[in-house]
Amino acid sequence: MIPPGYFFILSVVLFVLGIIAFFFKRDLITQFMAIEIMLNAANLAFLALARSSNFVDAQVIVFFIITVAAAEAAIGLAIVLLIFRKKKTIKTETLNSMKG
Amino acid sequence: MELVFVFLIFGLLGVVLLSMNALLGPKKTNPDKEKPFECGSPYLQNEIKPFPIKFSLVAFVFLLFDIEVVFFFPWALIFKEMRGPALVIMLAYGAVLAAGFIYAWKKGAFEWD
Amino acid sequence: MNSFGAVVPLLVVVGAALIVFLLEAFLKKENKNYLAYLSLLALIGCGILSANAWNGGLTYFDGMLRLDNAALFLTFLFLIAVAFVILIGMKYISLQDANHGEFYGLLLLALSGLMIMVSSTHFIVIFLGLEVLSVSSYSLAGLKRKDDKSSESAVKYFLMGSFASAFLVFGLAILFGTAQALDIPGLVDFFKAGPDNQVLGVVGLGLVLVGFAFKIAIVPFHMWAPDVYEGAPTPVTAFFSIGPKAAGFAVLIRLLAPYWNAGFRSGKLFGFLWALAALTMLAGNLIALRQNNIKRMFAYSSIAYAGYMLIAVLAGDGAGLLFFLTIYMFMSIGAFGSLIALSRKGREYNELGDFAGVGFKYPWIGAIFAVFLLSLAGFPPTAGFLAKFYVFVAAVNQGLTPLVLIAVLASLISVYYYLRIIVYMYMREPEREVSIEMENPALYLVLFLCLYGVLQLGLFPGNVLYLIKQAVAALL
Repeated sequence: MIPPGYFFILSVVLFVLGIIAFFFKRDLITQFMAIEIMLNAANLAFLALARSSNFVDAQVIVFFIITVAAAEAAIGLAIVLLIFRKKKTIKTETLNSMKG
Repeated sequence: MELVFVFLIFGLLGVVLLSMNALLGPKKTNPDKEKPFECGSPYLQNEIKPFPIKFSLVAFVFLLFDIEVVFFFPWALIFKEMRGPALVIMLAYGAVLAAGFIYAWKKGAFEWD
Repeated sequence: MNSFGAVVPLLVVVGAALIVFLLEAFLKKENKNYLAYLSLLALIGCGILSANAWNGGLTYFDGMLRLDNAALFLTFLFLIAVAFVILIGMKYISLQDANHGEFYGLLLLALSGLMIMVSSTHFIVIFLGLEVLSVSSYSLAGLKRKDDKSSESAVKYFLMGSFASAFLVFGLAILFGTAQALDIPGLVDFFKAGPDNQVLGVVGLGLVLVGFAFKIAIVPFHMWAPDVYEGAPTPVTAFFSIGPKAAGFAVLIRLLAPYWNAGFRSGKLFGFLWALAALTMLAGNLIALRQNNIKRMFAYSSIAYAGYMLIAVLAGDGAGLLFFLTIYMFMSIGAFGSLIALSRKGREYNELGDFAGVGFKYPWIGAIFAVFLLSLAGFPPTAGFLAKFYVFVAAVNQGLTPLVLIAVLASLISVYYYLRIIVYMYMREPEREVSIEMENPALYLVLFLCLYGVLQLGLFPGNVLYLIKQAVAALL
């Protein structure tokens, strides 16, 4: 069997990849996907750590995080859609109406 | 340990296969080859055009109601132990969802024409 | 004491929010003001129920929800703040675009998130409260759908906010894995015991703190705040300046209070927070100097204020922090309310030049705005002075003199840009024709109440301090 520690390492890698993608990608949907990867990395970490410590609370927590991520996705995609309707693009460079 | 070997072998195999193609394969090209492949027939349009997003609202509503169902599974598991209170809690939860559904309906989220 | 009464104030707010949303879909456009009255009624009901729970120490859901006095005090603060925001927003929302009934519903939901955050000691519940707050805040920021800036601020808030939440969740996962607990007492026990897993635990705690630092806009995690504050509708900005900040600090003191007596000021975390506080105060005030948009200037000023509040946390002065938050609520909502007084149909006046000569044309609004600005700058006899004074004295008593020196220097810098607005109002010829919509009794009521609060708390703060003393007793 694969030890839970490996899954934890995988989750750390995923989380770091999410951070990198968030900073290097230049359009809203991809950045949003990076955030989803980070949240799911956290889910994986919770499950891996729950497995290694035989603590079932974490599985309940994962349910909550999934729901929260869905709520965020619905609101976030709606906001991105709003931007797309206005600007016909979702590149982040176009979001520059405020300076200072 | 065997896991590491599996990753090493398959990883190396993948790298070898990918690079073999680039190293040994012929690199002749012609205009027809650069076209997108559409089952041999000439292609109909030049790019993927943006398509109407009328259904987006339905998608958002589906996303939310789809995910809300996750809470029914743990609820079903403990229903036998809790009985009455569990039913009341789920009814309250359902009431909140119903309020959201009525709001979306009334706001015209399900009309697409 | 385990009692269902602990949930009832929250249920009132959430129930009212749902009813507001349903009615919003069914009511005709010209009747939308009833939603505001309904929301205010719910806030009053929630206030009465919370007042009854004072000193009761009610808990529910196996102690996950804990209505101690600190939670109740902050709940009162939020109730007043949201009531003020609803009142100053009523006319504004209908003037700026279609009358969105969602404004009231989303505010109530955000309020429920704040209440959940402050009345729990379990990090998962705190996280859920934070998300309820955040998700409604994202949509509140984008409420002016036709306005480019508003949509832009919504998308920026959403991206940075959920990025911060991801940090928070991952930090919680690591904390959970090392400490096997996510409630604050359990975490405190873990860190006090100092076992082998300490390093990983500190990493987790650091990620959680970064998540919260984003939410309360501490430099260098503040970059979203100016854009969001500038683009969001002004009443919503007033809400952002106090709500998430107060709740974030509440969680912070709940987490750090157990350490205040036990070597807090020698730990590594302390140095980290010390540097953040100094950086926040200096950067916030220095960047505010070169802003010409007043909303943006207030955004930087509110960042700087987060730095002052951090001093209270570092000094272990819970009472000072709650007092500071109370006063900041009055000053900030008053200042943003004065900005709203100058907004007109479909347009806002936020540039510094718009305020030239306003002091003579509208003496009352000019004078009231000037009082709020002086209070923000920290002049006696206003409350702003007293708030900073208490915190600085507490910090000096704890041996934080260098930090207090930086703070005093930062406040001196801030005097310049606050006074610049007053100079524009009273010593410049008007550049543009600015007319003020005078028929807005709700807004003037709020301005008057905020003025009263600022002066009352500055001159006779005894009653509030008595309540705060009882509230802080619950923390330690």
